[in-house]
Amino acid sequence: MTIAVKLDRVLLDRGMSLTELSERVGVTIANLSILKTGKAKAMRFSTLEAICKELGCQPGDLLTFIDDGAPIRDD
Amino acid sequence: MKSAKKTSEKKTLATIFAIGLNVARGIIWISIAGLTVAMVFVPLLPMLIDWVTQFDNVHVDGDVEIEPGGLVKLARAFVSLGVGLYVIERLLELLRTIRVGTPFVAENAARFRRIGYALLLGEAGKFVFGIAGAAVGSEININLSVTSFIAIASVFVLAEVFAEGARMKDEQDLTV
Repeated sequence: MTIAVKLDRVLLDRGMSLTELSERVGVTIANLSILKTGKAKAMRFSTLEAICKELGCQPGDLLTFIDDGAPIRDD
Repeated sequence: MKSAKKTSEKKTLATIFAIGLNVARGIIWISIAGLTVAMVFVPLLPMLIDWVTQFDNVHVDGDVEIEPGGLVKLARAFVSLGVGLYVIERLLELLRTIRVGTPFVAENAARFRRIGYALLLGEAGKFVFGIAGAAVGSEININLSVTSFIAIASVFVLAEVFAEGARMKDEQDLTV
């Protein structure tokens, strides 16, 4: 089971760079990169709220659930 | 600001501990050197006395007798000092991780586990040398105490706490 992050796609649609988003939402580029590359283990509601507000999108536009039959990550 | 002050205090404390441990390490090394010298020269003393008395006008009063129990005691001292040195080295590594950032890393859990095993080895050594001493007819106090075993158990518990801390830190680092 995987939660896929579609941040790069949304950024592309909005014509916004990761650096610009980082400055607008006050999250470091390093953290946004962790999110974009799918390495993140958790996401704060405050971060999700800030990104959705800046990009004018819904949480569902950023995150997708893919049921690939794998067990739930517990790391 | 308050957090920065706290971090600075934490690092100062780590430095003070490190100084104390370095002093202890120096004392242990001096003790090991002293024991090594004694181990090499004391068995040679009877030969040395024989050689010296060959010369005219040289007379040595008394005799050097090395009891087998003495060697067991010497071996026990080496093991105790070795364990002490090993534990101090690991503690210094632990303190270094506090000074450079965070102590909650998986390596520190492993370090605590190694400290626990070393202390356990030290206690087992006491027992083995006690029996060895009795076998050669010397009385060596085994001196096993419940407190030591509780302390060793605490070190293993601490290792598990650090392993969990490292896991939580990892999760925190990957929370965006």
